Amino acid sequence: MWRAMVRDLRAHRGRLAMTLASIVLGVAFVVSSWVLADSTAASVRATDLRSDVDVVVSGHDLTDADLADLAALPGVSAARGVLAGRAALVGADGKLVAGPHDTAGTGWDRTDRFVLTAGREPRGPGEVAAADGTELSTGDTARVFLADGRQVRATVVGTFGYRTVGSEPAPRLAYDQDSARSMFGSYHWIELTGEHIAVPPAPGRQVDTARALGEQATADAEAAAGSTRETLLAFAAVALLVGGFVIANTFAMLVTQRVRQYALLRAVGATRRQVRRAVLGEAAALGAAGATGGVLLGLALAFTALVLAQDDTEFVVSPLGILVGYAVGVGVTVVAAHACARRAATVAPVAALRTDALTPPHRTRRVRVAAGLLLVAAGVATVAATSGVDDLGTTERIVGLVGGIVAWLGVLVLAPELSAALRPVAALLTRLGGPATRLGARNALRDPRRTAATSSALLVGLALVCAFATLGETMVSMFGDTVRATVPATTTVLRPAAGDEPLGTDVLDRVRDTPGVTGAAAQRYGSATVATGGRTTVSAIEPDAFGTLLTPPLVAGTADLRTGFVVGTNEAAMLGVGLGDQVTLDFDGERVTRPVVGLHTTTEAQPLFYLDVAAAPAWLRDRTTTVYATGTDPAAVRTALDRAFAGRPDVRVTDREGVIDEDMGEFAAVLAVMYAMFGAAVVIAIFGVVNTLALSVLERRREIGVLRAVGARRRLVRRAVRVESLVICGYGGITGIVVGVGFGAVMQHVMLGRELFAISVPYLVIGVSLAGMVAVGVLAALWPARRAARTDVLVAIATR
Amino acid sequence: MCPVTTTTAAGADGLTKVYGEGEARVVALDDVTVDFHSGQFTAIMGPSGSGKSTLMHCVAGLDTPSSGRVRLGEVDLSGLSDDQLTAVRRDRVGFVFQAFNLLPTLTALENITLPLDLAGRRPDPALVDAIVAAVGLGDRLGHRPAQLSGGQQQRVACARALVTSPDVVFADEPTGALDSRSSAALLALLRRGVDEFGRTVVLVTHDPAAAAYADRVLFLADGRLAGELTEPTANRVLDRMKTLERVA
Ligand SMILES: Nc1ncnc2c1ncn2[C@@H]1O[C@H](COP(=O)(O)OP(=O)(O)OP(=O)(O)O)[C@@H](O)[C@H]1O
Ligand SMILES: [Mg+2]
Repeated sequence: MWRAMVRDLRAHRGRLAMTLASIVLGVAFVVSSWVLADSTAASVRATDLRSDVDVVVSGHDLTDADLADLAALPGVSAARGVLAGRAALVGADGKLVAGPHDTAGTGWDRTDRFVLTAGREPRGPGEVAAADGTELSTGDTARVFLADGRQVRATVVGTFGYRTVGSEPAPRLAYDQDSARSMFGSYHWIELTGEHIAVPPAPGRQVDTARALGEQATADAEAAAGSTRETLLAFAAVALLVGGFVIANTFAMLVTQRVRQYALLRAVGATRRQVRRAVLGEAAALGAAGATGGVLLGLALAFTALVLAQDDTEFVVSPLGILVGYAVGVGVTVVAAHACARRAATVAPVAALRTDALTPPHRTRRVRVAAGLLLVAAGVATVAATSGVDDLGTTERIVGLVGGIVAWLGVLVLAPELSAALRPVAALLTRLGGPATRLGARNALRDPRRTAATSSALLVGLALVCAFATLGETMVSMFGDTVRATVPATTTVLRPAAGDEPLGTDVLDRVRDTPGVTGAAAQRYGSATVATGGRTTVSAIEPDAFGTLLTPPLVAGTADLRTGFVVGTNEAAMLGVGLGDQVTLDFDGERVTRPVVGLHTTTEAQPLFYLDVAAAPAWLRDRTTTVYATGTDPAAVRTALDRAFAGRPDVRVTDREGVIDEDMGEFAAVLAVMYAMFGAAVVIAIFGVVNTLALSVLERRREIGVLRAVGARRRLVRRAVRVESLVICGYGGITGIVVGVGFGAVMQHVMLGRELFAISVPYLVIGVSLAGMVAVGVLAALWPARRAARTDVLVAIATR
Repeated sequence: MCPVTTTTAAGADGLTKVYGEGEARVVALDDVTVDFHSGQFTAIMGPSGSGKSTLMHCVAGLDTPSSGRVRLGEVDLSGLSDDQLTAVRRDRVGFVFQAFNLLPTLTALENITLPLDLAGRRPDPALVDAIVAAVGLGDRLGHRPAQLSGGQQQRVACARALVTSPDVVFADEPTGALDSRSSAALLALLRRGVDEFGRTVVLVTHDPAAAAYADRVLFLADGRLAGELTEPTANRVLDRMKTLERVA
């Protein structure tokens, strides 16, 4: 019997090609994710860390006195202060190179930090050594901006490789000690060498052993790799889920085609179990074949990605990754084929003798409808229950999201029955269209289960795309709204040209000194820990700025920062605090306790806490992240500021619309990556459509023969297959879009804490999805339609 | 022997059909020249493998001859493209096969009018009504083929073959899977196609009783014509068949 099945499998090679392809893609996704994560983790593990340091003391404003104290501690044989500070490098194009810049400048020393790779060390003012990979070489001029806005030029006299103690960012430029002292001021950290060192604790000071930092670096890298892996695997799971639909559908069709064969097997003595096992065995074999292809493709993909990335990451293949690939490939296939195997086993031996009864019975229909309805009802009810709540807590958010997912699953379960909704559509098509349309539409409706199963794959793919598009679009419009509400159009905004690092400390004063400017304030954006909750975001700002330069919409209390915090309503809800309650923020050890005096509406993209700058820790006061300015003639202010900062590539002068565009541009890029990831699922869905059409065409060879005999041209046969394809894709696509937008509404509701129906519909993405759906329909039909049109009339009508 | 007729609806000149090559070479038709007269019911008989189906397929434009010419009405089929052949089939030929004649997704009536649909022609309501009445399906016209008996399905196929007013209706063992009563109903329908609707019918059959419905019976043996009978009766046909099989 096994031999019969294997032969059968081989004979059906062509029919299984698409299924195989979908397994290959899903497994390849998993394996390449795994390999990429392993490889990045391994390369971090492989970088050699320094061994000439035992303890690192870091903190704000470490002085020579601190250095002397530490050097005098028992057991310390050597103590070195490391000078480091902002050195924002200007590239050849006159723009700032990509960050980080905050500790990009340091002082040269003869420790294991530096390994000279060319030239010599910097010896005096006007000389600098550049790190490998900065695109600076000996003889070039390095132009940097310091933390105070000063510009420094130096000639590159050498290049170096850098070794870290832990995961601290490597500096880019090293100046001689004296220059570095004048440029960066205090020590960034102090390195101690020796044995049994016990550093007494002091506020704002952190003491770590080098070994702990090294272990931390490895752990961080592994955690990062792990989260990369998880993210990629989440996308891979979607691809596999969609692939599962394709596989299940293929087996459903194969089982239907082979009912007589199973009946014969049963008639000659095979038990139900044997039949079921045979089908499952077939699935396992197919899964293994697909997994082999998937593992190979996955390795190739990961390798290509690493080669293209060019960051000399090592290519690491762990046996576990390959094992997971096989487990996933075989597992998904067997699970997907399971229902069909059971169905095959229920074929009665008498079916071999009958000419009708060609489909094994579906017993689960009523159960399926009931389950589907129940899921949808439960999901919708759950979402509805949480939708009335204004300020959602964490639990309500999670419950709401689960409700959305449950309703979605319900739709998937109901899909075959929902396709009854296609009947009127088909009737209409029949009335309007010619014979090809009629035949195609009816063929699509012939087996609602098959149509639904085929389009479910597309449903899942497109629903995800549309859900994230809805979330994204809503976020974009919400972000725009909040920025517009918070920043008046008359305010000129100055922000760092690259990254989130602070502006030069001189910027605020220079803005104030610019002619025409009557009001200027700086926002110092940072994060802190709420004593009763998690991390939050804080903006320390001059109290005067409130209401003029910045106008966060206040919903309760006062905007007077002198008396306390102004907090976002959503954050207040999450923390469970209200007006008058005392809140303590912990800034890396420095605590600030104040009452909540006002509540403002905000989004997660804006600071959640506003704090009087006078009450902020000293180090935060200098971390100006944004400067706001205005004057009696705002347009003149803008022009004057443009001119004043023309020579400052580290500062971007803009306004609120510029802020929106810039930030949303980054966000759009993230969304685009996400769409690309879901793209794999959509591709697999296309395979599914091709697969169904091809198998249907094979099944209907006789019909097509008759059609051709009575006068249908090849073109008509092709068109009929295309219509069928379009109906299938249209069903999956439109259901997907509807479900996606609905789920997107739930997502934005629970994630952004907005009203359930306050969504911005992503018309562009929906438009592209609809167009894509039609394109997929046409594309998927190409090959099956060609095959159908080539049907040999004589072979098809032969009775034997 | 042939009755004098004015026109031929279809015919073949020196038709030869060879399948395969070398060892596997089979000459299915060997230089067959034949005419099917307009308004006549012709039956083709012969032992199994004698080339009956092949002859029909070639004359109907379903298959291409190895050599020789085929005429359908005034059209010479040699050298026509697939689309042209398709159009000829659609407009000039009707078919009834032994089984699997109907498209399962279309109703009986839709199956009947399918060739008109394909051609984009409006059906002539009077003709359709008359044919439908002759089929005798009554209220079952809206049913799908799966809901009809084998005999009813074959009658629907027969109506479909008549509805385009083709030059020739070809039927290859249409009664092969039917009992004698259903067979009789189907053959009567074909006969009415000739008598009432003026069609030309070519019927391939193994059944002498079926051949008795024809005006003329052609006999084939080993891919060649082996005589014919006019005004056949079941007994005369049976006698002739016996001789043929003895010779073979
Ligand atoms: N596609 C083919 N390839 C090879 N040989 C063929 C093919 N079709 C028919 N033949 C051969 O041609 C000969 C004539 O076949 P044909 O089907 O015309 O016979 P027939 O008279 O219709 O027989 P039956 O009464 O059994 O239907 C046979 O010997 C057959 O084996
Ligand atoms: Mg035959």
